[in-house]
Amino acid sequence: MNGWLVAAAVLVVAGLGPSLWGAARGGAGRRVVAQNAATLLLCLVFLLLAQGYGRPSYVDLALVTSVLGPAGTLVFVRLLGDEIDAPPPGLRLLTPLVAVGTPATLVPLCIATGPGRALLKLLVVGALLVAGGLVTSRALRHA
Amino acid sequence: MREALDDALVVASLLFVAAAATAAVLTRDPARQAVVLSLLGLGLALLFTVLQAPDVALSQLAVGSAVTPLMILLTVREVRRRKRRE
Amino acid sequence: MTRRARLWVLTAGLLGTAALFAAACLRMPPFGGTWHPYGDRAVQAALLQRTANTVSSVNFDQRAFDTLGEESILFAAVLGTVVLLRRTSGERRVTPQPASVPPAVRRYAIAVLPLALLIGLYVVAHGQLSPGGGFQGGVVVATALHLLYVGVDYRALERVRPVGLYELADGVGEGAYVVLGAAGLLAGSAYLANILPLGTFNTLSSGGTVPLLNAAVGMEVASAVVVLLARFLAQALEIVDEKEEGRERGERRKRE
Repeated sequence: MNGWLVAAAVLVVAGLGPSLWGAARGGAGRRVVAQNAATLLLCLVFLLLAQGYGRPSYVDLALVTSVLGPAGTLVFVRLLGDEIDAPPPGLRLLTPLVAVGTPATLVPLCIATGPGRALLKLLVVGALLVAGGLVTSRALRHA
Repeated sequence: MREALDDALVVASLLFVAAAATAAVLTRDPARQAVVLSLLGLGLALLFTVLQAPDVALSQLAVGSAVTPLMILLTVREVRRRKRRE
Repeated sequence: MTRRARLWVLTAGLLGTAALFAAACLRMPPFGGTWHPYGDRAVQAALLQRTANTVSSVNFDQRAFDTLGEESILFAAVLGTVVLLRRTSGERRVTPQPASVPPAVRRYAIAVLPLALLIGLYVVAHGQLSPGGGFQGGVVVATALHLLYVGVDYRALERVRPVGLYELADGVGEGAYVVLGAAGLLAGSAYLANILPLGTFNTLSSGGTVPLLNAAVGMEVASAVVVLLARFLAQALEIVDEKEEGRERGERRKRE
Protein backbone atom coordinates (compact mmCIF):
# COMPACT_ATOMS: atom_id res chain seq x y z
CA MET A 1 0.00 0.00 0.00
CA ASN A 2 1.53 3.26 -1.13
CA GLY A 3 -0.03 6.12 0.86
CA TRP A 4 1.63 8.82 -1.27
CA LEU A 5 0.03 7.55 -4.46
CA VAL A 6 -3.35 7.18 -2.71
CA ALA A 7 -3.09 10.81 -1.56
CA ALA A 8 -2.16 11.88 -5.12
CA ALA A 9 -5.17 10.00 -6.55
CA VAL A 10 -7.47 11.60 -3.96
CA LEU A 11 -6.14 15.08 -4.84
CA VAL A 12 -6.69 14.40 -8.56
CA VAL A 13 -10.27 13.22 -8.10
CA ALA A 14 -11.40 15.52 -5.27
CA GLY A 15 -9.25 18.55 -6.17
CA LEU A 16 -8.50 18.76 -9.89
CA GLY A 17 -11.95 17.46 -10.84
CA PRO A 18 -13.86 20.27 -9.07
CA SER A 19 -11.31 22.81 -10.41
CA LEU A 20 -12.17 21.74 -13.94
CA TRP A 21 -15.87 22.16 -13.12
CA GLY A 22 -15.12 25.67 -11.87
CA ALA A 23 -13.06 26.56 -14.94
CA ALA A 24 -15.56 25.20 -17.47
CA ARG A 25 -18.57 27.34 -16.52
CA GLY A 26 -19.49 30.84 -15.41
CA GLY A 27 -17.69 34.17 -15.65
CA ALA A 28 -14.04 34.82 -16.39
CA GLY A 29 -13.12 35.57 -12.76
CA ARG A 30 -14.44 32.28 -11.46
CA ARG A 31 -12.60 30.41 -14.19
CA VAL A 32 -9.26 32.05 -13.43
CA VAL A 33 -9.67 31.26 -9.71
CA ALA A 34 -10.26 27.61 -10.63
CA GLN A 35 -7.20 27.64 -12.94
CA ASN A 36 -5.06 28.96 -10.11
CA ALA A 37 -6.35 26.31 -7.70
CA ALA A 38 -5.62 23.64 -10.33
CA THR A 39 -1.96 24.68 -10.72
CA LEU A 40 -1.50 24.59 -6.94
CA LEU A 41 -3.14 21.16 -6.66
CA LEU A 42 -1.19 19.76 -9.60
CA CYS A 43 2.05 20.92 -8.01
CA LEU A 44 1.14 19.04 -4.80
CA VAL A 45 0.19 15.98 -6.89
CA PHE A 46 3.63 16.05 -8.58
CA LEU A 47 5.35 16.14 -5.17
CA LEU A 48 3.28 13.17 -3.95
CA LEU A 49 3.90 11.23 -7.18
CA ALA A 50 7.67 11.84 -6.94
CA GLN A 51 7.65 10.37 -3.43
CA GLY A 52 5.20 7.58 -4.30
CA TYR A 53 7.11 6.43 -7.37
CA GLY A 54 10.41 6.79 -5.50
CA ARG A 55 11.76 9.13 -8.20
CA PRO A 56 13.27 12.27 -6.63
CA SER A 57 13.90 13.80 -10.08
CA TYR A 58 10.13 14.15 -10.64
CA VAL A 59 10.25 16.96 -8.03
CA ASP A 60 11.52 19.15 -10.90
CA LEU A 61 8.00 19.03 -12.35
CA ALA A 62 6.65 20.54 -9.11
CA LEU A 63 9.48 23.10 -9.09
CA VAL A 64 8.58 24.29 -12.60
CA THR A 65 4.84 24.28 -11.82
CA SER A 66 5.35 26.35 -8.68
CA VAL A 67 6.89 29.14 -10.80
CA LEU A 68 4.89 28.90 -14.02
CA GLY A 69 1.48 28.31 -12.38
CA PRO A 70 1.25 31.74 -10.71
CA ALA A 71 2.84 33.31 -13.82
CA GLY A 72 0.00 31.84 -15.90
CA THR A 73 -2.63 33.16 -13.50
CA LEU A 74 -1.04 36.63 -13.62
CA VAL A 75 -1.20 36.48 -17.43
CA PHE A 76 -4.95 35.86 -17.22
CA VAL A 77 -5.44 38.61 -14.62
CA ARG A 78 -3.45 41.08 -16.72
CA LEU A 79 -5.19 40.40 -20.03
CA LEU A 80 -8.71 39.51 -18.85
CA GLY A 81 -8.64 42.36 -16.29
CA ASP A 82 -11.87 44.12 -17.25
CA GLU A 83 -13.80 40.84 -17.64
CA ILE A 84 -13.01 39.65 -14.11
CA ASP A 85 -15.74 40.67 -11.65
CA ALA A 86 -14.10 41.79 -8.40
CA PRO A 87 -14.00 39.87 -6.17
CA PRO A 88 -14.57 36.80 -8.33
CA PRO A 89 -16.72 33.98 -6.84
CA GLY A 90 -14.72 31.23 -5.13
CA LEU A 91 -11.79 33.53 -4.36
CA ARG A 92 -12.21 33.19 -0.60
CA LEU A 93 -11.60 29.41 -0.93
CA LEU A 94 -8.17 30.02 -2.46
CA THR A 95 -6.28 31.33 0.60
CA PRO A 96 -7.40 28.44 2.89
CA LEU A 97 -6.48 26.00 0.12
CA VAL A 98 -2.94 27.40 -0.04
CA ALA A 99 -2.62 27.78 3.74
CA VAL A 100 -3.83 24.24 4.53
CA GLY A 101 -2.96 22.23 1.42
CA THR A 102 0.68 23.26 1.09
CA PRO A 103 1.83 22.45 4.66
CA ALA A 104 -0.42 19.36 4.86
CA THR A 105 1.42 17.93 1.84
CA LEU A 106 4.89 19.30 2.41
CA VAL A 107 5.41 18.55 6.10
CA PRO A 108 4.98 14.75 5.73
CA LEU A 109 7.12 14.85 2.57
CA CYS A 110 9.88 16.78 4.34
CA ILE A 111 9.85 14.31 7.23
CA ALA A 112 10.04 11.38 4.80
CA THR A 113 12.87 13.04 2.82
CA GLY A 114 15.15 13.91 5.74
CA PRO A 115 17.87 16.58 5.66
CA GLY A 116 19.81 17.24 2.45
CA ARG A 117 19.55 18.89 -0.95
CA ALA A 118 16.21 17.23 -1.65
CA LEU A 119 14.74 18.87 1.47
CA LEU A 120 16.00 22.26 0.32
CA LYS A 121 14.26 21.77 -3.03
CA LEU A 122 11.00 20.85 -1.27
CA LEU A 123 11.22 23.96 0.89
CA VAL A 124 11.81 26.15 -2.19
CA VAL A 125 8.73 24.63 -3.85
CA GLY A 126 6.71 25.22 -0.67
CA ALA A 127 7.82 28.85 -0.37
CA LEU A 128 7.07 29.50 -4.06
CA LEU A 129 3.61 27.92 -3.70
CA VAL A 130 2.67 30.00 -0.65
CA ALA A 131 4.04 33.25 -2.12
CA GLY A 132 2.45 32.55 -5.52
CA GLY A 133 -0.89 31.62 -3.97
CA LEU A 134 -1.08 34.72 -1.79
CA VAL A 135 0.01 37.09 -4.56
CA THR A 136 -2.34 35.68 -7.19
CA SER A 137 -5.33 35.95 -4.83
CA ARG A 138 -4.32 39.55 -4.11
CA ALA A 139 -4.09 40.24 -7.85
CA LEU A 140 -7.50 38.64 -8.46
CA ARG A 141 -9.11 40.68 -5.70
CA HIS A 142 -7.88 43.93 -7.31
CA ALA A 143 -8.45 42.89 -10.91
CA MET B 1 -2.48 -3.51 -5.13
CA ARG B 2 0.25 -1.24 -6.49
CA GLU B 3 -0.75 -2.09 -10.06
CA ALA B 4 -4.39 -1.29 -9.31
CA LEU B 5 -3.31 2.06 -7.88
CA ASP B 6 -1.18 2.87 -10.94
CA ASP B 7 -4.11 1.97 -13.18
CA ALA B 8 -6.47 4.13 -11.10
CA LEU B 9 -4.14 7.13 -11.53
CA VAL B 10 -3.92 6.56 -15.30
CA VAL B 11 -7.71 6.21 -15.60
CA ALA B 12 -8.36 9.31 -13.47
CA SER B 13 -5.89 11.35 -15.57
CA LEU B 14 -7.37 10.09 -18.84
CA LEU B 15 -10.89 11.00 -17.68
CA PHE B 16 -9.69 14.44 -16.60
CA VAL B 17 -8.07 15.04 -20.01
CA ALA B 18 -11.19 13.87 -21.86
CA ALA B 19 -13.45 16.07 -19.71
CA ALA B 20 -11.15 19.12 -20.06
CA ALA B 21 -10.89 18.66 -23.84
CA THR B 22 -14.69 18.40 -24.14
CA ALA B 23 -15.13 21.50 -21.97
CA ALA B 24 -12.61 23.38 -24.15
CA VAL B 25 -14.58 22.50 -27.28
CA LEU B 26 -17.90 23.52 -25.70
CA THR B 27 -16.58 26.91 -24.53
CA ARG B 28 -17.19 29.31 -27.42
CA ASP B 29 -15.62 32.54 -26.15
CA PRO B 30 -11.89 32.35 -27.05
CA ALA B 31 -10.70 34.25 -23.97
CA ARG B 32 -12.53 31.91 -21.58
CA GLN B 33 -11.53 28.96 -23.72
CA ALA B 34 -7.89 29.88 -23.01
CA VAL B 35 -8.53 29.23 -19.30
CA VAL B 36 -9.99 25.78 -20.03
CA LEU B 37 -7.10 25.05 -22.41
CA SER B 38 -4.69 25.86 -19.61
CA LEU B 39 -6.42 23.20 -17.45
CA LEU B 40 -6.28 20.76 -20.35
CA GLY B 41 -2.53 21.40 -20.48
CA LEU B 42 -2.20 20.66 -16.75
CA GLY B 43 -4.21 17.45 -17.23
CA LEU B 44 -1.96 16.33 -20.08
CA ALA B 45 1.13 17.01 -17.95
CA LEU B 46 -0.39 14.84 -15.21
CA LEU B 47 -1.23 12.07 -17.72
CA PHE B 48 2.32 12.07 -19.13
CA THR B 49 3.72 11.88 -15.59
CA VAL B 50 1.60 8.92 -14.48
CA LEU B 51 2.61 7.22 -17.76
CA GLN B 52 6.24 7.78 -16.62
CA ALA B 53 7.11 10.34 -19.30
CA PRO B 54 8.26 13.30 -17.17
CA ASP B 55 10.29 14.87 -20.01
CA VAL B 56 7.16 15.24 -22.13
CA ALA B 57 5.19 16.44 -19.10
CA LEU B 58 7.78 19.15 -18.49
CA SER B 59 7.56 20.32 -22.13
CA GLN B 60 3.77 20.48 -21.85
CA LEU B 61 3.93 22.42 -18.58
CA ALA B 62 6.51 24.87 -19.91
CA VAL B 63 4.55 25.69 -23.05
CA GLY B 64 0.99 25.35 -21.74
CA SER B 65 1.02 27.21 -18.45
CA ALA B 66 1.99 30.76 -19.44
CA VAL B 67 3.28 31.11 -23.01
CA THR B 68 0.24 29.71 -24.85
CA PRO B 69 -2.34 31.66 -22.76
CA LEU B 70 -0.31 34.83 -23.31
CA MET B 71 -0.26 34.31 -27.09
CA ILE B 72 -3.98 33.47 -27.25
CA LEU B 73 -5.07 36.40 -25.08
CA LEU B 74 -2.89 38.92 -26.94
CA THR B 75 -4.36 37.68 -30.22
CA VAL B 76 -7.91 37.91 -28.84
CA ARG B 77 -7.25 41.47 -27.70
CA GLU B 78 -5.91 42.51 -31.11
CA VAL B 79 -8.77 40.82 -33.02
CA ARG B 80 -11.37 42.49 -30.78
CA ARG B 81 -9.76 45.87 -31.29
CA ARG B 82 -9.85 45.44 -35.07
CA LYS B 83 -13.51 44.33 -34.92
CA ARG B 84 -14.46 47.40 -32.91
CA ARG B 85 -12.87 49.57 -35.58
CA GLU B 86 -14.94 48.07 -38.40
CA MET C 1 -16.97 23.46 -53.42
CA THR C 2 -20.60 23.02 -52.45
CA ARG C 3 -21.63 22.14 -48.92
CA ARG C 4 -22.73 18.71 -50.10
CA ALA C 5 -19.38 17.93 -51.73
CA ARG C 6 -17.49 19.09 -48.63
CA LEU C 7 -19.57 16.78 -46.45
CA TRP C 8 -18.74 13.87 -48.78
CA VAL C 9 -15.00 14.63 -48.56
CA LEU C 10 -15.29 14.86 -44.76
CA THR C 11 -17.18 11.56 -44.54
CA ALA C 12 -14.64 9.79 -46.74
CA GLY C 13 -11.80 11.15 -44.64
CA LEU C 14 -13.43 10.19 -41.35
CA LEU C 15 -14.27 6.67 -42.56
CA GLY C 16 -10.73 6.17 -43.86
CA THR C 17 -9.20 7.35 -40.58
CA ALA C 18 -11.61 5.17 -38.58
CA ALA C 19 -10.71 2.08 -40.66
CA LEU C 20 -6.95 2.66 -40.32
CA PHE C 21 -7.31 3.44 -36.59
CA ALA C 22 -9.33 0.26 -35.97
CA ALA C 23 -6.84 -1.83 -37.95
CA ALA C 24 -3.93 -0.35 -35.96
CA CYS C 25 -5.69 -0.92 -32.61
CA LEU C 26 -6.25 -4.60 -33.41
CA ARG C 27 -2.51 -5.19 -33.94
CA MET C 28 -1.31 -3.18 -30.92
CA PRO C 29 0.76 -4.84 -28.20
CA PRO C 30 -1.13 -4.94 -24.86
CA PHE C 31 -0.91 -1.83 -22.64
CA GLY C 32 1.82 -1.76 -20.00
CA GLY C 33 3.46 -5.07 -20.99
CA THR C 34 7.06 -6.09 -20.34
CA TRP C 35 8.18 -6.40 -23.97
CA HIS C 36 9.92 -3.16 -25.03
CA PRO C 37 12.43 -3.94 -27.79
CA TYR C 38 13.21 -0.28 -28.59
CA GLY C 39 13.21 0.86 -24.95
CA ASP C 40 15.65 -1.85 -23.85
CA ARG C 41 18.12 -0.99 -26.62
CA ALA C 42 17.80 2.75 -25.99
CA VAL C 43 18.50 2.33 -22.26
CA GLN C 44 21.49 0.11 -23.01
CA ALA C 45 22.90 2.67 -25.45
CA ALA C 46 22.28 5.51 -22.96
CA LEU C 47 24.20 3.64 -20.24
CA LEU C 48 27.09 3.03 -22.66
CA GLN C 49 27.19 6.78 -23.38
CA ARG C 50 27.01 7.46 -19.60
CA THR C 51 23.86 9.58 -19.95
CA ALA C 52 21.58 9.05 -16.95
CA ASN C 53 18.45 10.45 -18.64
CA THR C 54 17.74 8.03 -21.49
CA VAL C 55 15.30 10.44 -23.14
CA SER C 56 18.07 13.04 -23.45
CA SER C 57 20.41 10.39 -24.80
CA VAL C 58 17.87 9.51 -27.50
CA ASN C 59 17.13 13.15 -28.33
CA PHE C 60 20.66 14.56 -28.33
CA ASP C 61 22.89 11.58 -29.03
CA GLN C 62 21.26 8.50 -30.55
CA ARG C 63 18.87 10.53 -32.72
CA ALA C 64 20.40 14.00 -32.48
CA PHE C 65 19.80 14.58 -36.19
CA ASP C 66 16.02 14.40 -35.66
CA THR C 67 16.32 17.04 -32.96
CA LEU C 68 18.17 19.31 -35.38
CA GLY C 69 15.07 19.07 -37.59
CA GLU C 70 12.76 19.92 -34.68
CA GLU C 71 14.90 22.86 -33.65
CA SER C 72 14.85 24.14 -37.22
CA ILE C 73 11.04 23.91 -37.30
CA LEU C 74 10.83 26.28 -34.32
CA PHE C 75 13.44 28.54 -35.91
CA ALA C 76 11.48 28.67 -39.17
CA ALA C 77 8.17 29.24 -37.35
CA VAL C 78 9.59 32.21 -35.45
CA LEU C 79 11.12 33.58 -38.65
CA GLY C 80 7.70 33.34 -40.29
CA THR C 81 6.08 35.18 -37.37
CA VAL C 82 8.68 37.94 -37.53
CA VAL C 83 7.93 38.44 -41.23
CA LEU C 84 4.14 38.27 -40.89
CA LEU C 85 3.74 40.41 -37.76
CA ARG C 86 5.97 43.30 -38.84
CA ARG C 87 4.79 46.88 -38.88
CA THR C 88 3.35 47.62 -42.32
CA SER C 89 2.75 50.89 -44.13
CA GLY C 90 -0.21 52.79 -42.69
CA GLU C 91 0.61 51.56 -39.19
CA ARG C 92 2.30 53.56 -36.48
CA ARG C 93 4.09 52.68 -33.26
CA VAL C 94 2.64 54.26 -30.11
CA THR C 95 3.77 54.10 -26.50
CA PRO C 96 1.37 51.84 -24.59
CA GLN C 97 -0.34 53.21 -21.49
CA PRO C 98 1.27 52.09 -18.22
CA ALA C 99 -0.86 49.58 -16.29
CA SER C 100 -1.59 49.74 -12.59
CA VAL C 101 -0.47 46.61 -10.73
CA PRO C 102 -0.93 45.95 -6.98
CA PRO C 103 2.40 46.52 -5.17
CA ALA C 104 2.39 42.95 -3.82
CA VAL C 105 2.29 41.57 -7.38
CA ARG C 106 5.12 43.89 -8.41
CA ARG C 107 7.29 42.77 -5.49
CA TYR C 108 6.51 39.11 -6.24
CA ALA C 109 7.43 39.47 -9.92
CA ILE C 110 10.73 41.19 -9.14
CA ALA C 111 11.63 38.67 -6.42
CA VAL C 112 10.67 35.54 -8.39
CA LEU C 113 12.25 36.65 -11.69
CA PRO C 114 15.86 35.71 -10.76
CA LEU C 115 14.70 32.49 -9.10
CA ALA C 116 12.68 31.53 -12.19
CA LEU C 117 15.68 32.25 -14.43
CA LEU C 118 17.80 30.05 -12.18
CA ILE C 119 15.24 27.23 -12.34
CA GLY C 120 15.18 27.51 -16.14
CA LEU C 121 18.98 27.32 -16.37
CA TYR C 122 18.96 24.42 -13.88
CA VAL C 123 16.53 22.51 -16.11
CA VAL C 124 18.76 23.18 -19.17
CA ALA C 125 21.94 22.16 -17.35
CA HIS C 126 20.51 18.93 -15.89
CA GLY C 127 19.00 17.62 -19.12
CA GLN C 128 21.45 14.71 -19.25
CA LEU C 129 20.64 13.69 -15.66
CA SER C 130 16.96 14.32 -14.91
CA PRO C 131 13.76 15.15 -16.83
CA GLY C 132 14.12 18.37 -18.77
CA GLY C 133 16.68 19.87 -21.10
CA GLY C 134 17.18 22.71 -23.53
CA PHE C 135 13.61 23.04 -24.75
CA GLN C 136 11.87 22.91 -21.37
CA GLY C 137 14.43 25.08 -19.60
CA GLY C 138 14.53 27.56 -22.48
CA VAL C 139 10.77 28.12 -22.29
CA VAL C 140 11.00 28.60 -18.50
CA VAL C 141 13.73 31.25 -18.98
CA ALA C 142 11.61 33.09 -21.57
CA THR C 143 8.52 32.90 -19.33
CA ALA C 144 10.55 34.26 -16.41
CA LEU C 145 11.43 37.41 -18.38
CA HIS C 146 7.75 37.98 -19.14
CA LEU C 147 6.97 38.11 -15.41
CA LEU C 148 8.08 41.71 -15.90
CA TYR C 149 5.23 42.32 -18.32
CA VAL C 150 2.49 40.62 -16.29
CA GLY C 151 3.77 41.73 -12.89
CA VAL C 152 5.34 45.13 -13.48
CA ASP C 153 4.91 46.95 -16.77
CA TYR C 154 5.51 46.54 -20.48
CA ARG C 155 8.26 49.15 -20.38
CA ALA C 156 10.09 47.20 -17.65
CA LEU C 157 10.11 44.19 -19.97
CA GLU C 158 11.35 46.30 -22.88
CA ARG C 159 14.32 47.42 -20.81
CA VAL C 160 15.64 43.84 -20.36
CA ARG C 161 14.61 42.72 -23.83
CA PRO C 162 16.52 44.27 -26.71
CA VAL C 163 14.76 42.18 -29.38
CA GLY C 164 17.65 42.47 -31.86
CA LEU C 165 20.00 40.78 -29.42
CA TYR C 166 17.55 37.91 -28.87
CA GLU C 167 17.12 37.50 -32.63
CA LEU C 168 20.87 37.19 -32.88
CA ALA C 169 20.98 34.67 -29.99
CA ASP C 170 18.25 32.66 -31.72
CA GLY C 171 20.42 32.33 -34.81
CA VAL C 172 23.56 31.62 -32.80
CA GLY C 173 21.79 28.82 -30.86
CA GLU C 174 20.59 27.24 -34.08
CA GLY C 175 24.03 27.64 -35.65
CA ALA C 176 25.80 26.19 -32.61
CA TYR C 177 23.85 22.95 -33.01
CA VAL C 178 24.85 22.67 -36.68
CA VAL C 179 28.50 23.43 -35.87
CA LEU C 180 28.59 20.93 -32.98
CA GLY C 181 27.33 18.35 -35.47
CA ALA C 182 30.09 19.24 -37.93
CA ALA C 183 32.66 18.78 -35.14
CA GLY C 184 31.81 15.09 -35.34
CA LEU C 185 32.81 15.09 -39.03
CA LEU C 186 36.07 16.93 -38.30
CA ALA C 187 36.92 14.38 -35.61
CA GLY C 188 36.72 11.70 -38.30
CA SER C 189 33.37 10.31 -37.18
CA ALA C 190 29.78 10.86 -38.35
CA TYR C 191 27.72 14.09 -38.28
CA LEU C 192 26.45 14.79 -34.72
CA ALA C 193 28.41 11.82 -33.35
CA ASN C 194 29.17 12.01 -29.62
CA ILE C 195 32.91 12.68 -29.86
CA LEU C 196 33.64 14.32 -26.50
CA PRO C 197 34.91 12.43 -23.41
CA LEU C 198 31.86 10.86 -21.76
CA GLY C 199 32.73 11.78 -18.16
CA THR C 200 31.50 10.05 -15.01
CA PHE C 201 27.97 8.61 -15.05
CA ASN C 202 25.35 10.73 -13.23
CA THR C 203 27.46 13.88 -12.92
CA LEU C 204 26.88 17.28 -14.56
CA SER C 205 29.79 16.79 -16.96
CA SER C 206 28.63 13.37 -18.21
CA GLY C 207 27.14 12.53 -21.57
CA GLY C 208 29.77 14.06 -23.89
CA THR C 209 28.09 16.40 -26.38
CA VAL C 210 24.60 15.99 -24.80
CA PRO C 211 24.93 18.93 -22.33
CA LEU C 212 26.47 21.15 -25.05
CA LEU C 213 23.65 20.41 -27.51
CA ASN C 214 21.17 21.04 -24.68
CA ALA C 215 22.77 24.43 -24.04
CA ALA C 216 22.54 25.31 -27.75
CA VAL C 217 18.88 24.31 -27.85
CA GLY C 218 18.21 26.16 -24.59
CA MET C 219 19.65 29.36 -26.05
CA GLU C 220 17.72 28.94 -29.28
CA VAL C 221 14.38 28.17 -27.61
CA ALA C 222 14.61 30.89 -24.96
CA SER C 223 15.43 33.54 -27.59
CA ALA C 224 12.86 32.16 -30.03
CA VAL C 225 10.04 32.39 -27.47
CA VAL C 226 11.13 35.90 -26.45
CA VAL C 227 11.17 37.04 -30.10
CA LEU C 228 7.83 35.34 -30.78
CA LEU C 229 6.12 36.96 -27.78
CA ALA C 230 7.75 40.31 -28.60
CA ARG C 231 5.98 40.26 -31.99
CA PHE C 232 2.63 39.37 -30.40
CA LEU C 233 3.05 42.03 -27.70
CA ALA C 234 4.01 44.69 -30.24
CA GLN C 235 0.94 43.93 -32.37
CA ALA C 236 -1.44 43.98 -29.39
CA LEU C 237 0.02 46.94 -27.50
CA GLU C 238 2.18 49.13 -29.70
CA ILE C 239 1.20 49.01 -33.35
CA VAL C 240 -1.95 50.87 -34.38
CA ASP C 241 -3.51 51.82 -37.66
CA GLU C 242 -3.01 55.47 -38.53
CA LYS C 243 -6.74 55.87 -39.25
CA GLU C 244 -7.69 54.21 -35.97
CA GLU C 245 -5.24 56.33 -34.03
CA GLY C 246 -6.76 59.48 -35.49
CA ARG C 247 -10.22 58.38 -34.46
CA GLU C 248 -9.09 57.53 -30.94
CA ARG C 249 -7.48 60.92 -30.56
CA GLY C 250 -10.70 62.55 -31.79
CA GLU C 251 -12.76 60.62 -29.25
CA ARG C 252 -10.44 61.60 -26.46
CA ARG C 253 -10.70 65.25 -27.45
CA LYS C 254 -14.49 65.01 -27.51
CA ARG C 255 -14.52 63.53 -24.00
CA GLU C 256 -12.31 66.30 -22.70
